[in-house]
Amino acid sequence: MADFFINGFSALTGDADAASFAAYFEARRLRRMETIAKNALLCSCRAFEQAGIDIHAPKDTGLSVAAGAGSLESTCKFMDSIIDDGDELSSPTAFAGSVHNSTGLTLSVFLHLNGPCVTTGQFDFSFAGALLTAREFLKRGLCREALVAVAEDINPSAALLAPKNPELFAPVLRGPQGPFTRAAAAFVISAEPTEKTQFAVTDFHFSRTDAPAAPCSLFPSAAACALETAARLQTGKPFVLCDVFGGAELKLEAEPYVN
Amino acid sequence: MTKTPVAGFGCLCACGTSAETCFEGALTGRARFDLPGARVNSAYATSYPVFLAADEIAKACPAGESLSLHYFLTAADEAFFHAGVFPAELAAKKRVGVIVGTSVDASFHCFDLYKNNRTGTPRPDDPQELAHYFASSTALAASRHYGFKGPFQTVVTACASGTDAVGLARSWILSGLCDAVLCGGTDEINLIPYDGFTRLLIATKDRCRPFDKNRNGINIGEGAGALLLMNEETAREFSVRPKGYVLGYGNACDAYHPTAPDPEAKGLKKAISFALKDAGLAAQDLAFVNAHGTASQANDAAEAAAFNSLLKNVPVWGSKGVTGHTLGAAGAVEAVLTLTALNNKIIPPTFGFQETDENVGFAPVQTKTPLTKRAALSDSLAFGGCNAALVLGAEDYDG
Repeated sequence: MADFFINGFSALTGDADAASFAAYFEARRLRRMETIAKNALLCSCRAFEQAGIDIHAPKDTGLSVAAGAGSLESTCKFMDSIIDDGDELSSPTAFAGSVHNSTGLTLSVFLHLNGPCVTTGQFDFSFAGALLTAREFLKRGLCREALVAVAEDINPSAALLAPKNPELFAPVLRGPQGPFTRAAAAFVISAEPTEKTQFAVTDFHFSRTDAPAAPCSLFPSAAACALETAARLQTGKPFVLCDVFGGAELKLEAEPYVN
Repeated sequence: MTKTPVAGFGCLCACGTSAETCFEGALTGRARFDLPGARVNSAYATSYPVFLAADEIAKACPAGESLSLHYFLTAADEAFFHAGVFPAELAAKKRVGVIVGTSVDASFHCFDLYKNNRTGTPRPDDPQELAHYFASSTALAASRHYGFKGPFQTVVTACASGTDAVGLARSWILSGLCDAVLCGGTDEINLIPYDGFTRLLIATKDRCRPFDKNRNGINIGEGAGALLLMNEETAREFSVRPKGYVLGYGNACDAYHPTAPDPEAKGLKKAISFALKDAGLAAQDLAFVNAHGTASQANDAAEAAAFNSLLKNVPVWGSKGVTGHTLGAAGAVEAVLTLTALNNKIIPPTFGFQETDENVGFAPVQTKTPLTKRAALSDSLAFGGCNAALVLGAEDYDG
């Protein structure tokens, strides 16, 4: 029996290029957008498209964002403005953008999402937490379908310090030797199958553990599990994804769904 | 409708160091409202006061533990004591989850480390500090501290995080994911939110005035609220007498603006409606609503729009005049204050309020007001347009 269904998905590493948005939005609307929000937006558009959902129509779709380490571009811009210009000239715009759910805001405004919205920020386990929340939204009847969006930024201090201290960072940061990159992913899930359902998730489990690490991916990103999940879905075959890292474990079992 | 037992709760903020003393502070107006002092190295630190938690709690923070985590664990210890439950026994017998809402603790606010490395003057212990930051996600750290093995989640939906944490904890119990969930919210004051809110021009040099005609901004605060939720079977097994109930939870998005709430409060109305529906209650069943009431012009006006539409004639209590805006902790601190008010059968005054704003359309509760109804609503609004609401029941709620 299925736990929930996956109706659309998309993932990318690196940054979305402007041309990719041509089918969805006018370029001028994207000018001031934070890079990770742009990446998550592109993945979300593609996932909705696969799921057969009009991105321009208002909808009560739930939104569960995995923010990894948060909006680091704006956080660092805000700290830069304090360092360079002093407290009294620090950037309020950067501060507003530094809030973890700024990516959620972007997605909700651009994709007209008026359902429940929660952002999870717990590094490598942000995706697991966000997926759990989206499933709860569905189980509690808060929405019929939910978008799980993953947006991972580069921590410039980690990019500087981790490669020089890989042993220190290996227990807490995947692939501390780098190269560091941004990553994003999106999944449209529902409690009931739709005409566009691609996969049925038959088991999803997430908990704390003291077991030694056996990570599903050494991709240096908190988005690793999301990227790995998208890669497994792309094969079109049944899979079991197990990830044990940093004191937690995730198991996700899915099989192709035939309407 | 299913009610989720609250086995115990704990709280600390500017008006107290426990749930009981916080409620006393809420009744009397006594709170630590002061300039941040050495805690915040900002040019504004001599002019914008904040609501600070007691120094003795901060001084007890172990080395290597963030102040936010320390606040949460302090409140959580009180919640376990209140419940009469040993965490280790609970961990051994039951599947226990942890959900913590925070804003500051999950953010990369390692200002000195960042500055050192950006300006080419790193310290030898910078790598250790950064590695520790990655290892210390709030909910994971709390789960590890108590030896729980269930799921964990750090909710970072800005100022609605604490409310979401409690609501999602109810959901985890109802769906059978956990037997018990330690939930709540926590935040500390540091340079980043302090400068940020000041530069957004929504902080005030005065003590905040929720819903007042002349309100002129927020005071940020710090603290933590923790609640231990259980399913009925676990409560029976551990001989727990519930200290209250979570009856309903709702959440909805404005999709409107980065920092301002939708003036029509469409998302908040939806969140409140969901929470009431989840609880199986109507507005007339509520003793009061504990408002988000930050005392910013936009927040209080938007909230008033929702209350005037859905909660007409329900008494409104704003508690930020004694707690300050504790950001990611706010929803959890206010959930605990709401439960203590229900259990003490009295609504505290809204400190800071003086004059009714015709655009708000109501005056919040201004004197200690006895109550008889056994349920109340607490709501939160967040940057990014996220709205959340909880319906809470008193210890003797029999619905």
